[in-house]
Amino acid sequence: MGTKMQHPIDERAAVTVHDLTVAYREDPVLWDIDLSIPTGSLTAIIGPNGAGKSTLMKAILGLVPPAAGTVEIFGHTSERQRRLVGYVPQRGSVDWQFPTNALDVVTMGTYGQLGWIRRPGKAEKQRALAALDQMGMADFADRQISQLSGGQQQRVFLARALVQDAQLYFMDEPFVGVDARTEAAIIELLKSLRDHGKTVVVVHHDLDSAPNYFDHVVLLNVQKIASGPMAETFTTENIERTYGPSKSARTKVAAS
Amino acid sequence: MTSGTVILLTGILCAMACALPGTFLILRRMAMMTDAISHAILPGLVFGYWLANSPNLLVGAVGATGAAILTVSLVEALQRTRRVGGSEAMGIVFPAMFALGTILISRYFSNVHLDTDAILYGNIEFSAFERLVIGGDDLGPQSLWVMSILLIVNIGVLTLLYKELKISTFDPALTQSLGFNPILIHYLLMLLLSITTVGAFTAVGAILVVALVIVPAATAYLLTDRLIEMMVGSAIIGALAAIGGYWLAMWIDGSIAGGIVTMAGLFFALALLFSPQQGLVAQRRQAHLNRQRFALDMLVMHLYTHERTADEYSESSLGHIGAALHWNPDQAMRTIGRAVDRGMVVRANGNVVLTEQGRHYVQRLSVMDRVRSE
Amino acid sequence: MSTLHDLIFDYTLRNVALGGMLLGIVAGVLGAFAVLRQQALLGDSLSHAALPGICIAFMITGSRESLVLLIGAGIAGWIGTWILLRTVNATKLSEDTMLGVVLSVFFGVGILLLTYIQQTNNANQAGLDKYLFGQAASLIARDVWTFAILGTASLAIVVLFYKEFKLLSFDPEFLASLGLPQRRLDLALTSLLVVAVMIGLQTVGVVLMAAMVIGPGTAARQWTDNLRTMLMLSGLFGGLAGLIGAVISVQASHLPTGPSIILTLTIIVVASILFAPRHGIVAEWWRNRARRAAFQAALESGERPS
Repeated sequence: MGTKMQHPIDERAAVTVHDLTVAYREDPVLWDIDLSIPTGSLTAIIGPNGAGKSTLMKAILGLVPPAAGTVEIFGHTSERQRRLVGYVPQRGSVDWQFPTNALDVVTMGTYGQLGWIRRPGKAEKQRALAALDQMGMADFADRQISQLSGGQQQRVFLARALVQDAQLYFMDEPFVGVDARTEAAIIELLKSLRDHGKTVVVVHHDLDSAPNYFDHVVLLNVQKIASGPMAETFTTENIERTYGPSKSARTKVAAS
Repeated sequence: MTSGTVILLTGILCAMACALPGTFLILRRMAMMTDAISHAILPGLVFGYWLANSPNLLVGAVGATGAAILTVSLVEALQRTRRVGGSEAMGIVFPAMFALGTILISRYFSNVHLDTDAILYGNIEFSAFERLVIGGDDLGPQSLWVMSILLIVNIGVLTLLYKELKISTFDPALTQSLGFNPILIHYLLMLLLSITTVGAFTAVGAILVVALVIVPAATAYLLTDRLIEMMVGSAIIGALAAIGGYWLAMWIDGSIAGGIVTMAGLFFALALLFSPQQGLVAQRRQAHLNRQRFALDMLVMHLYTHERTADEYSESSLGHIGAALHWNPDQAMRTIGRAVDRGMVVRANGNVVLTEQGRHYVQRLSVMDRVRSE
Repeated sequence: MSTLHDLIFDYTLRNVALGGMLLGIVAGVLGAFAVLRQQALLGDSLSHAALPGICIAFMITGSRESLVLLIGAGIAGWIGTWILLRTVNATKLSEDTMLGVVLSVFFGVGILLLTYIQQTNNANQAGLDKYLFGQAASLIARDVWTFAILGTASLAIVVLFYKEFKLLSFDPEFLASLGLPQRRLDLALTSLLVVAVMIGLQTVGVVLMAAMVIGPGTAARQWTDNLRTMLMLSGLFGGLAGLIGAVISVQASHLPTGPSIILTLTIIVVASILFAPRHGIVAEWWRNRARRAAFQAALESGERPS
């Protein structure tokens, strides 16, 4: 209840998913998902491996085509709302040997606002530097990205999302393979984003930390099992329905 | 034997010898290594001819095999520097070797009787005229001897190492734990490939070697999942390509090597289109059936998800279903019709309602319920 | 000095040198992208796949004009790439296998057509087989102009869409999340590689084209961690190899141009891997040696090494 008082939830949904089905070669990865993510929430998408967590995120972003259903972001198609959306892909999805430095990666966050052909100038570099600074990475601006630790790479990715200056952020497993300090820094950032009225959606797999980190949750296993405020939704029963009874017990033990 | 028979036999034996190791190369994702080796042996061949002072097959083959081993080692050494990726290493080493060979030929050994065109597409046409003569006795066409020995060596080595190659291809870690050295197996295969390439190269040229190693094996892979069937199948396909290609080349009066590759490519295209499982036509038909089944699944799943919710009535209306599931009216009516035929739903006043049978069907689909019953 | 004089006034040398240099620059820049996108051997497949295109273009038009033949080459190269990507997506065949299949089958068909043309069309076929090994000496001023226009247009597109191509190569998913058309940009970059291969066929030939695509980018990567610098160095290395290799081959007797260019390039690549500052093997060895020495010194002075 306490968190709800501190962070009044805008009744307007940031994301509305209706009857969303996604299939790879006619094999359903997501089955008829109905979902609404409130504006100003810090929402975790939780489910076992292969539950379609990343796919749900990509489908909302319009990166994978739906077999059925609709997605709305602040009441319009995701196509129309690109400028309002920031995205942090999984860290493992890119080649960190690529010849570029931290500042340059963060500057890529401005490409959407720049549009075709126009190059980032001084103003964009400044904003990128500020975002790096916010993530405690200002000293690493010139560092080649392969020379960064896993946690530092993740912070560079988050700084890139900050530069996008979005209303709604999607982050795919930002806590994977990062050190404890970075994890604390990330969660602090997420909470501060929420406190500034932004909506943050995170694919997460650690059941133990979830209730402390997030105020809303979506439990997913190909179908949506449950979604809503953390306290009411993240119940043993719902977790069991997501992971299966034996499995969820095991996961909890393994995670602790 | 007539010259045509010799050519045909050479082609068939060569195709079979090449296809056998090709199976493992494809499964190990090392097909392009054949391309690298077949080009890179050129300087070794030239060097061998130079040493022997004549196009002596044996000395040339020793030189070429040396060059092949050198190529494999150079590629792996470059990779080990961690500054160059695997394909980059190949793409740097083999052109350099090939360039070196070409320069050696044109600059110093223009007398060694090595036609540059023949490097690329061989001269199987003349295979009847190059005789193997030992101690004054004419033992018949040299190419037949070479190809027969090559085939026997390949069959022998692959039979002996079948089990080891099989596990090291599918599970290198298991191989190690079973006490076989996967690296040793890798090098043995590379050696076998080098010998095969060298032997085949002298008769049919660099590119035909690549084609005969890769294409029949890839064709067989489209037709079967079993390793032994794939090996036998690729040998048969290779032999058929040799026969068909020979006639094709005779017919249009073109290069026999080109004809054989074209035929192998044709077989590959046929398998790609019409293979019962992997073929594009079968896939399309399967996708169509899947789409129909999937549409049905989506319909019942949609109704099931919204059953006993506040919006059940609006969600199950005929008009809404089409819109929610991205169907045009025609598609929606067809799918609903199929569902009605199967007794999964009934229509009632412009709405669609799940039947008990439909509910039962959807519960088997539903992961939620699968998990619950675990 | 006489080389410089010849370079300016000798018709053949000028064409060969300019052709080699243009090829090196264009293939260097676009090849660098191919290397970064882990498509290094695509250039090899593409160039082999171009051969039947040259033959068919000749059979249809009867023309020996390089532009006509190169357009045929480009179309065939494109079809080969399309089949490759399509098949890898749809079947269990790996990319490596399909590179080999496309390369060898297209080339085999090309050889069949080439020999067919030679039999039926003896008088007019002269010059088609120069695309196998390249025959830079056959370059005429018109060819060089064609290359210059094609090359400049390709490079202009890279400069114009530098930002988009960079993001496409580094993080295509993020690119798509910004609403940029990932597939169309992918198509554009691959098409530019096709153009680079078209330029290379006549100069270095089908077989050696792989190195022209891979070599300069690989060498350039050793010198810098910055994409823009890498692309410029890649163009520079490619251009230098093309120029130097071409000049050497014309000056020396019995030295074919393509192989001469490729060996020059190989020397640049090996030298870069060995001697590049920071990334080079020698630099690494030197650093390790200094570190060991410092460690040793610390041990001997009785301090705890850090």
